[in-house]
Amino acid sequence: MNTTHIIGVFDSKMDLLAGIEKAKSNNFKIDEIYTPYPVMEAIDALERKSRFTLAAFFYGFAAVVGVLSFLYWTSVIDWPINYGGKPTNAFPSFIIITLVLTILTITILSLFTFSIRAKIYPGKKYILPDERATDDKFIVLFDKKTAGGGFEAISSALKAGGASEVYEKEL
Amino acid sequence: MDTKVIFTKKFYYITYGLMGLGVIGLVYGFLTDSHRTWANLLMDNYYFLSLALGAAFFFCLQYITQSGWSAMFRRIPEALMAYIPYAGIIMVVMYFGLHDIYHWSHPDLVANDELLAHKAPYLNIPFFMIRLVIFFVAWILLTRYLRKLSLQEDALGSKELFEKMEFWSKVFIFVLAVTFSAASFDWIMSIDAHWISGIFAFKNFAAAFYHGTSLIGLIAIILHKKGYFKDMNEYHLLDFSRYMFGLSIIWGYLYFSQFALIWFGNLPEETIYYAKRWENGWIIFVFLNFAINWFIPFIVLLPQKLDKNINVVYGICVLLLVGLYTDIYEQVMPDFLTSPSLGIIEIGVFAGLAGLFLFAFAKALASAPLIAKNHPYLEESIHHHLH
Repeated sequence: MNTTHIIGVFDSKMDLLAGIEKAKSNNFKIDEIYTPYPVMEAIDALERKSRFTLAAFFYGFAAVVGVLSFLYWTSVIDWPINYGGKPTNAFPSFIIITLVLTILTITILSLFTFSIRAKIYPGKKYILPDERATDDKFIVLFDKKTAGGGFEAISSALKAGGASEVYEKEL
Repeated sequence: MDTKVIFTKKFYYITYGLMGLGVIGLVYGFLTDSHRTWANLLMDNYYFLSLALGAAFFFCLQYITQSGWSAMFRRIPEALMAYIPYAGIIMVVMYFGLHDIYHWSHPDLVANDELLAHKAPYLNIPFFMIRLVIFFVAWILLTRYLRKLSLQEDALGSKELFEKMEFWSKVFIFVLAVTFSAASFDWIMSIDAHWISGIFAFKNFAAAFYHGTSLIGLIAIILHKKGYFKDMNEYHLLDFSRYMFGLSIIWGYLYFSQFALIWFGNLPEETIYYAKRWENGWIIFVFLNFAINWFIPFIVLLPQKLDKNINVVYGICVLLLVGLYTDIYEQVMPDFLTSPSLGIIEIGVFAGLAGLFLFAFAKALASAPLIAKNHPYLEESIHHHLH
């Protein structure tokens, strides 16, 4: 279960970016980056492709079709009621409900999708590789098996970029 | 840095040619159907005024939000504002056409109409003209002042001028929100003086902002293709697209809200507006509006890849300029024509005002350096990069 990780600690954002640059030029695969505040360049460096927006679009599309057909079924086929002479298929008034339910559907399904993909569930124990990441340090995490280099090689690369500390840890 | 846009002689001849077409259209129109001609003049003037004021609103918004990305393009809305005085002159000339357009301007009709008589303290010719002059004086003074400050910044380049512009931008959008709403009520909504819609002014304000932004984007792209704005990159396009995407939703929301409430309330004095637009072929415009101004921009600008594609954004901008025309056409013309038609008058008057609009724009744009070199956010704009 536990795997060995190589952890690089940086003092500043500039050092972090230089370290990432060095690691990437040596083709070391970065597993994760922890920063005290959002660093856009770090997100870019992880090179993660997301199809999340596509999924959200299809949720929305399915929700629009689903809600409209449900409203049509309830108010036209199953239980038609005459509201002040309005047609039973009161399309313009369906739109508002569709809009609201679509937003709700996308939100909830996106939440579940994200939770499943990121393997987050209620009661999960959060693993923080280095507690100083919540304070003022920038942490770069390598999985030793898949990083593509030994401890020495990664350590020297990160140190050349300005890492203040590099160590191994079982997580 | 100090490059100015050079408009060729040919460009000016084209604008003169368009204005000539406009004169022909007007003369032909007044000889055949003065009713329709005045309506066209109002509609097309409102069209270009919307674009100018929408651009001015965009311009002010950049200051208030202290946006960096758009600092490079600041001269475009500044130049578009130059049309406002011309629009003012045309609106003052409209005085002679009030009887052809507005029902409430006939005292004998008002006397027999309880509702119009009730509205007469507000909707009467002297007060209408006073309001009109106030609107234009406010807009012209404020836009002139902002332009002056902008040119001063080029020469002096101090932070105080930027803060001053930010303050006056706030004043301007406040004034614009009130005056443009009142102007929309006066000029467009009162054509059918019996009908009211509370959301009308907001809808037209959003349309002006929406289409004004698309015009700025279009001009930026054209100038980029001509070799100006060398630093313009895909992230600037992305920002323009985001503006248009967001505003397309707002426009669609407001347009639909107006319809849905009237449809649901089902009061005869309100539904008459849409009943008129449901017959004799006008219904096409309701769907055309939805398609051009909401559906197509919404779907096309949804994927980020297309947002950054210069030709796609270019196409959408052009489409939206057509969209504003169909939007205003649907608001104005059903009261003057039995069924939609595009004749010599429509084309002539539109061409004439387009010529005037382009002429005013070109003169203003050519008179100052294209890039405001002392803008505090210019560096950010040049190196604009999004993640």
